[in-house]
Amino acid sequence: MEYLLHILILIGIYVILSVSLNLITGYTGLLSIAHAAFYGVGAYVAALMALNLHSTFLVNIICAVIVSGLLGALVGIPSLRIRDDYFVIATFAFQVITFSILNNWVSFTGGPMGLPGIPQPTIFGLQVSSHLGFLILIALFCALTLWVTRRIVRSPFGRVLKAIREDEVFAQAAGKNVAAYKIIVFVVGAGMAAMAGVMYAYYISFIDPTSFTVMESIFIISIVIIGGAGSLWGPVVGAVVLVLLPELLRFLGLPSSVAANLRQIIYGGLLVVFMMWRPRGFLGEYAFQSKEARE
Amino acid sequence: MTGSTLGVNGLSKSFDGVRAIADFSCELRDGEILGLIGPNGAGKTTLFNVVTGFIAPEHGQISLKDNEITGLAPYRLANLGIARTFQDLRLIRQLSVLENVLLSFRSQPGERLGNLFFRSERSRQHEALNRQTAIELLEDTGLGDKAGESADDLSYGQQKLLSLVCCLAAEAQVLLLDEPVAGIAPEMIDKILGIIRDLPVKGKSVILIEHNLDAVMQVCDRVIFMDAGAKVSEGTPEEVRNDPKVIEAYID
Amino acid sequence: MLWQLAINGIVAGCAFALIAMGLALIYNVAKFFHFAHGVIFTIGAYLTFLIANWLELPLLASISIAITATALIGCSLELGVFSPLRRKGNSPLVLLLASLGIYIILQNLISAVFGDDIKIIRTGAVNEGIAFLGARVTSIQVCIILTSLVVLAAVLVILKGTRMGRAMRAVSNDPELARVCGIDSDRVVLWAFAIGSMLAGIAGILVALDVDMTPTMGMNALMMGVVAVIIGGNGSIPGVALGALLLGMAQHLGVWRISSQWQDAIAFVILLAFLLFKPEGFMGKKIRKATA
Repeated sequence: MEYLLHILILIGIYVILSVSLNLITGYTGLLSIAHAAFYGVGAYVAALMALNLHSTFLVNIICAVIVSGLLGALVGIPSLRIRDDYFVIATFAFQVITFSILNNWVSFTGGPMGLPGIPQPTIFGLQVSSHLGFLILIALFCALTLWVTRRIVRSPFGRVLKAIREDEVFAQAAGKNVAAYKIIVFVVGAGMAAMAGVMYAYYISFIDPTSFTVMESIFIISIVIIGGAGSLWGPVVGAVVLVLLPELLRFLGLPSSVAANLRQIIYGGLLVVFMMWRPRGFLGEYAFQSKEARE
Repeated sequence: MTGSTLGVNGLSKSFDGVRAIADFSCELRDGEILGLIGPNGAGKTTLFNVVTGFIAPEHGQISLKDNEITGLAPYRLANLGIARTFQDLRLIRQLSVLENVLLSFRSQPGERLGNLFFRSERSRQHEALNRQTAIELLEDTGLGDKAGESADDLSYGQQKLLSLVCCLAAEAQVLLLDEPVAGIAPEMIDKILGIIRDLPVKGKSVILIEHNLDAVMQVCDRVIFMDAGAKVSEGTPEEVRNDPKVIEAYID
Repeated sequence: MLWQLAINGIVAGCAFALIAMGLALIYNVAKFFHFAHGVIFTIGAYLTFLIANWLELPLLASISIAITATALIGCSLELGVFSPLRRKGNSPLVLLLASLGIYIILQNLISAVFGDDIKIIRTGAVNEGIAFLGARVTSIQVCIILTSLVVLAAVLVILKGTRMGRAMRAVSNDPELARVCGIDSDRVVLWAFAIGSMLAGIAGILVALDVDMTPTMGMNALMMGVVAVIIGGNGSIPGVALGALLLGMAQHLGVWRISSQWQDAIAFVILLAFLLFKPEGFMGKKIRKATA
């Protein structure tokens, strides 16, 4: 039972991560492999504050969202100037730099040793300590993420995002400040990813840089793609599939290192398979058609 | 250039040493339809791109109703009352016909994130109003029954019509139309020209790039003939057509 | 001391150059960032290990077989994955993502088969290195420098002097025009993959012989290759080689002042600076952003 709750919590975290990345990549067409950086920054800000300032959960999460949002704005800036495949490289750079800071600034972040002993969160007087408690908390944040995203994508704002995804020139000629939209969407996406990071930090009560690597970013983008870029529920489906699938492998009784490899081979394989036969994923709308072709 | 809606003065732009626009000046008067003709590569579309802010000129000024607008970003110019279509027909194919029109309205509160969450009622009302206007525009132009379809499913002529409707939704005073009737069937040409002809009545001014000289003769009050980035001739359609310099340029 | 760092930097730079040249060759012709290039690097090393250590064939034979194999693997990826994707009209992003997926699959296969521990290719003698103007250089390191110079020369000769090379340049500059002129771009791309992958394989083997190997070594190689390509200029092979050399030097000389743990971060900060201010690199072709 505990195990089941643990899986559901993980799914919840990845739902938040993938829905937020979907806003950036699926709806606005900005492919980014920097999302684990936002996730990690959120986790570290909350953890550092909880451990050093003993501040409350609410304060920590707000700060985590703000700091991650600022990083998001930074990552968004290159998208104003450089083409989409070069932009992916830029996001790759941000991801590596962020990981490097988390891993090497030992005096501040604990370096490879990470930050242990993160206290349990107390919200409105209630201490969250059980798996069930965390699951409820995560579910609330998932709901918040989905609600915010749904509001955005079904609005005129969301319409502009889809326009930018297909043809920035048309959007500009229609009076839309494309640069502002891109930065905003990165700030919102990064902020939501930070929430997932905060949840992760409190739940596991220990964080280290190895949870926030390039491979993690690639995993999150795989969820978005396989679930379906540009659809609201696609990432949810993707998160469920990609978190559950490797768990099913446990029942095959493989040694754990091979199981870890097999898990990655599966989602790498799914990525290739979907690119070849259904780039828009299970439920998606956007198949990464090139904007450049129209210039 | 007082009294003119759009003024262009001494515009120049080169690419890799080739002069695309060479000291070009013109003015668009209030309520007129100005035709811009010339051979391929004359710089007509480049001129549009400079006037709408997509390319920065090296020299020269552009003014809109006596306000200087040189160097402003494209989205700003679009919000100041300039709308355009593109030679290679740009539309958002992943959106429906109606959504393309809705996209083209300016100053939508629902496009600001803050309004989405804190003044959502106002955004909703504005969107509903725009929707009504958009549907009316589509019905007036004969695209009403296609409103829900994907823009991709329209015929080429219908797509050109749609891009014109988008300009109308923008409520712009200045419309820059790049080959609005090129490559489409005669019935659609007539329909689109009919809409263009009515624009001055609605208080709009138009610059029209076209290779279809018949269309130009029918619809334009004045015509400018452009070649190699420079203005070669200017006047009524009749005057320009009979100008020996123009005839020579076409024979070349 | 500084001189030793400089030598280390040159050696590193030459290894990066091999990877970067292959990556640039493939990008220029196939028009997408082939991330799996990094794992081809790893495969070169591990195949050599497999053949030399497990099958116990002589080293030179192992290397030759491994290099050929990497070229073949690169070609099969092109034929099996990228060519069909291109034919369906997919964008460079789709190919990049597919290449990413392949990277993950292959790296994990290596990890599953060989384990994650550090491996060394049996070479026999332990080499202390030749003394050269006060610094030590091992024979493998000399080999790396010489190989990269030979490869750079060979690639330039191929590009300027052979029909296939000229076809590659044509496809790289203007694919439509090349097609109109009758150039079979599929074959050209295939050759680019063959040569490029072979270069990655060679780099992997040399690095493995110089230091050691782990299944994740390709990620670092890929990262440095990407940085070198951007700062050197994607369209220019000598530019890319120069970029790689400068990167290697910057990283190793930088150790004099900044702790080596920051090398990766610094490389990527440099990359970002170039992407933002000089995206065509030192010697590359201009990359414009959207205009009407």
